[in-house]
Amino acid sequence: MSEPVAGIGLAVVIVGLALTTFLTRTSFLLAGSRLRLNHRVEVALRHAPVCTLMAIIVPDVLLHGGVAFDFSPLNPRLIGVVAAVLWLCWSRNILGCLASGMIAYSLARILL
Amino acid sequence: MTGASDRREVFRAGQRAILHSLPGSAAWGLVSGVAMVKGGLSVPWAILMSLSVYAGSAQLAALPLIAAGAPLWVIVATGLITNLRFVLYSAALRPYFANEPAGKRAALGFFMTDFTFTLFMRHAQLGTLPERHRDAWFAGVCANNWITWQLCAITGIVAASGVPTDWGLEFTGTLALVALVGPVLNARPAIVGGVVAAVVALLAHQMPFRLGLFVAAIAGIAAATFMDSRRAPGSPADTASST
Repeated sequence: MSEPVAGIGLAVVIVGLALTTFLTRTSFLLAGSRLRLNHRVEVALRHAPVCTLMAIIVPDVLLHGGVAFDFSPLNPRLIGVVAAVLWLCWSRNILGCLASGMIAYSLARILL
Repeated sequence: MTGASDRREVFRAGQRAILHSLPGSAAWGLVSGVAMVKGGLSVPWAILMSLSVYAGSAQLAALPLIAAGAPLWVIVATGLITNLRFVLYSAALRPYFANEPAGKRAALGFFMTDFTFTLFMRHAQLGTLPERHRDAWFAGVCANNWITWQLCAITGIVAASGVPTDWGLEFTGTLALVALVGPVLNARPAIVGGVVAAVVALLAHQMPFRLGLFVAAIAGIAAATFMDSRRAPGSPADTASST
């Protein structure tokens, strides 16, 4: 294993990360009216939030440490998400959803 | 024409709209701050990274590579691919802000995150965006999210040793995403797209450079669009009402 990136190298990495973040986030926004996407593509992109969030959430819950699958019903993250979803079905209150999910998750980690 | 006070009112409405999601941003910011210092960055570098990059998932993806002394291009490429989903977000937001000046579009893009984008699109879908000054509304959403995230990230950086890492605080960020996505999973195309994206993300999690997330998003969007097209034209429920 080599030395950690530091000094000039670290500066290059931070500038590179800042640039790629800025360029991806502004890509189509900056293209503005010059670039017209196919209307069907624009309609399809309405689904971007749901699909990306599900692609973030589900592996976060079901992959232990980002590596091994954990489909066990005793998986604390799964229990936490189930509690949060149940809360959401009952009430639209987000704070309650976060609290119930964290409480269920913490209890499951302590007790199971 | 109404003036600046009108815009300020809309800006505040945006600030209020994200209020209840902020604990998720706070926990996620705090965890990313702690992770940067525990990953070996010194305090000034970590603060610089937090302020200039402002992308938790890309930062967390880069940290182990920085610690392992990976080639610089590999670290930046990993960040880039982790961020590819923002290209989709940017394309989805474009129609709403196409008439704004370029500087404002650049600023709105810089401050756009998973949270703020999803919140904006949810309000767009429910028809609860303000009629006018949508840029000010989104700026209000983004302002509260940015302030919260940075304050908590810097707190995490400065007080890294005092923040317990074994409480699983980062799970709050996941739950906040659940709260955002839940209400939008209300029609068959969205549900099918979400399930496909989740399954592909699980199967593709070992793809290099964290490419799996982007591949999963594209697959989900394609599946949801296919379901849209199967719907009989003219059916009353939630047809594609693009603004």
